Amino acid sequence: MNLHDIRRKQCATILSYTGGVITLGAPLMLTPLSVGFFHRGEWGAWKDFTIPAVALFLLGMTLWRGFHSRRAATINILEGGVIVLLSWIIIILFSAFPFITALHLNFTQAVFEAVSGWTTTGLSVVDVTKAPRAILIWRSTIQLAGGAGLAIIMISSIAGPVGPGLAFAEGRTDQLVPHVRKSAKLVMTIYLGYAIVGTLAYIFAGMSSFDAVNHSFAAVSTGGFSTVPESIGRWNSVTIEAVTITLMILGNLNFLTAYLMLNGKFRAVGRNGEVRLMAFVLPVSAFLLFFLVCRGFYPTLEKGARVAIFETVSALTTTGFSTVSYNNWPAFGWFLLIVLMLVGGGTCSTAGGIKQYRIYLLYKSLGWEFKRYFLPRTAVVENYVWQGENKDYIKDDRIRQTSLFLFLYLICYVLSVGILTAHGFNLPESMFESASSLGTVGISVGVTSASAPPIVLWTETLGMFLGRLEFFIVFISAWKIILLSRTIQRSVNNPG
Amino acid sequence: MNILIVGGGRIVYFLCRTFISKGYRLTLVNRDVEECSWLARHLKATVVHGDGTDLRVLEECRAESFNAILAVTGNDQDNLAICQQARLKFNVARTLAMVNDPDNEEVFRKLGVTAAFSTTRIITSLIEQRTGFEDVVNLVPLEEGKVNLTEVILDETSPVAGRALADISLPENSLIAIVTRNGSSIIPRGGTVLQAGDRLVVITLPENMGRVIKLLTGGK
Amino acid sequence: MAGDKKLYAIVIGCGRLGAHLASTLSGQGHSVVAVDSRHSAFDALTSEFSGFRLEGDATEFAVLKQAKIDRADLVVATTDDDNVNLMVAQVAARIFDVPRVVARIEDPRKEEVYSSLGIETICPASLAGNIFMETLKSAGL
Repeated sequence: MNLHDIRRKQCATILSYTGGVITLGAPLMLTPLSVGFFHRGEWGAWKDFTIPAVALFLLGMTLWRGFHSRRAATINILEGGVIVLLSWIIIILFSAFPFITALHLNFTQAVFEAVSGWTTTGLSVVDVTKAPRAILIWRSTIQLAGGAGLAIIMISSIAGPVGPGLAFAEGRTDQLVPHVRKSAKLVMTIYLGYAIVGTLAYIFAGMSSFDAVNHSFAAVSTGGFSTVPESIGRWNSVTIEAVTITLMILGNLNFLTAYLMLNGKFRAVGRNGEVRLMAFVLPVSAFLLFFLVCRGFYPTLEKGARVAIFETVSALTTTGFSTVSYNNWPAFGWFLLIVLMLVGGGTCSTAGGIKQYRIYLLYKSLGWEFKRYFLPRTAVVENYVWQGENKDYIKDDRIRQTSLFLFLYLICYVLSVGILTAHGFNLPESMFESASSLGTVGISVGVTSASAPPIVLWTETLGMFLGRLEFFIVFISAWKIILLSRTIQRSVNNPG
Repeated sequence: MNILIVGGGRIVYFLCRTFISKGYRLTLVNRDVEECSWLARHLKATVVHGDGTDLRVLEECRAESFNAILAVTGNDQDNLAICQQARLKFNVARTLAMVNDPDNEEVFRKLGVTAAFSTTRIITSLIEQRTGFEDVVNLVPLEEGKVNLTEVILDETSPVAGRALADISLPENSLIAIVTRNGSSIIPRGGTVLQAGDRLVVITLPENMGRVIKLLTGGK
Repeated sequence: MAGDKKLYAIVIGCGRLGAHLASTLSGQGHSVVAVDSRHSAFDALTSEFSGFRLEGDATEFAVLKQAKIDRADLVVATTDDDNVNLMVAQVAARIFDVPRVVARIEDPRKEEVYSSLGIETICPASLAGNIFMETLKSAGL
């Protein structure tokens, strides 16, 4: 087989699996119609969902069958990356359709909302008081699906490619058990388990079942879409806030860590860097926020404490629920939230941001570097962090990759802040909103709205997308697509 | 007594020297040709150049004619292979293996090796169990550490100096096996009176060792 | 592998044969842990492989425990050292009661010694030799 045939086969595999992945999106698009069963008369939106669902299904099946090869091909990480990129883009475009037809949003706004859903951000341009129930549940559903990730959904379902290439491409590098399909199924089980328990907990705490389902989906996916404009603050209930905080923390836990915890391996969980970081950062931040901001700002100490804890958790886990508005908060409060949003949640979870593991790793590296000065010059040191139950020895290339990621993240952050300020928003607002979009958090100080300039919305859209897929895979896959199309083009021009 | 030893390094040289001085007949198998030359010059033993895990080499050495085979190479898996092959193919009665990984001591015994000893474990015991007093020395851990053999020297302040063995209430499952006085050792009876300066060899279980030592030395 | 049951398999030794076995088993859906003392050995695994990689010396008891050998359904010992393979196979079969254990042996002479211990062995040299002889016989030689 010459190079062209190999590339052609690769394209076929990629298109075929992309088709497979997006076909799964089709039944997903029909689920919002279930509201018709629970709330009589709300069938109006059926066209908004069935049309794109059918179209998606047809497109998916055409690609899947059309390029299907008999052998179950294995996917390496480059191919996986392209599949991830293509499927995300296609699914996002189809997901935007109901927003356009049912809410009459324009293309920019609809894509923004769809991306905000799939990336589990939670920033919104939708007026939830006027949206039909089907739209509301659709937003929460796409957050639930986006949190799991298309790779996990596909691999854990009946037909999936062999090998971990697809999962790795979407950022799921931690496997729970020694087989990728078993692992994916376990992740789905844990995840859906959270969602079900969450829904029941909310109902028990006093929410209506519709609100309970929506908020549970949005909490475990650390998404943050709400059915009401005031978010969790609407209920003003300690129980609901407590349930939310629990779900947010669970959702942001690395799935391997969660798996170990469910299996009782508490020692391994206690050694985990992210758990340790959270155990330190959350109380300290909550305390600082309470002491310096909320104490003086809210009428009762109890309210101040509740707000401090809730907002800290919401920002760090990159969920995006809020109990209060942040306008008029002292600047320190915004500063703290921005830092938390940048740090972000756990790796291989539903959360966003730079991710706690990276921060923890770099922090440990500082310590290692410092110690090195006091060791004999030719001493050999093997530094490690705990990964699950085993020691993971850190070589310089891991530190290099982490540092570069951090650098890339900050570049994109700075660019985003720049674009927002250039469009008339002040610096604190721009910094806040940029941290929120890039980190797929979802709390807003007002920059994001239906009336925001399109460029601002597209900046945030791109930020959310890059943040969720962690930059590299997007750039690398885009380049791979360019390379593949060049090779194909060349082979078309010179056959044989 | 015919012994076949497989291995190399200084430990093998000194082992062989000791065995030869006790009158055993030795054959030594070693993989390194230069080490073989050196050993052949310095030891009164048959030195064979070869891989002791290879059946052919064992055959050439006429392994079936040995009473015991001692495998002291640096690798646990090789020592296991040597012992098992000697037993299964050549019916050697006693097979002894050195192991690096202390966990493998029990494993080897379960797999049919007559005795396996971990130098790591022996050294660790010696280091750990040194209580820091010159007059209490832990000798050898027997039965995988389930029995302690300890040497205790009684000084003037010892509470049992001047008392007969029968009058000392030793805890259950402990025994004063040997009393050495002025260079000669006796096995004590109930009427034996312990004196300051006696060296006692005491057998205890780990659980009661502390009490026994305290009883004999006064609990410093 | 016949049957639908998915096994927990440990492959000791990730050389050419080991890597091939591990990748194939993983591709068929079994949970596989590949063990090798050299980190670079795992590069031989194909993209089909979605199991765990464990760097360690399989003659060390603790390494086998880390690979969770107590839960294994299948252990394949295929390092390039017969003695290691035989030791690991016996530990797996006798100490941990792993249902199916296979050891690769290069030296045909050792086969009969170890078959008396009940260890299933595969000797690539013997197998190749037999197939070779068959081929020659059928060619009328």
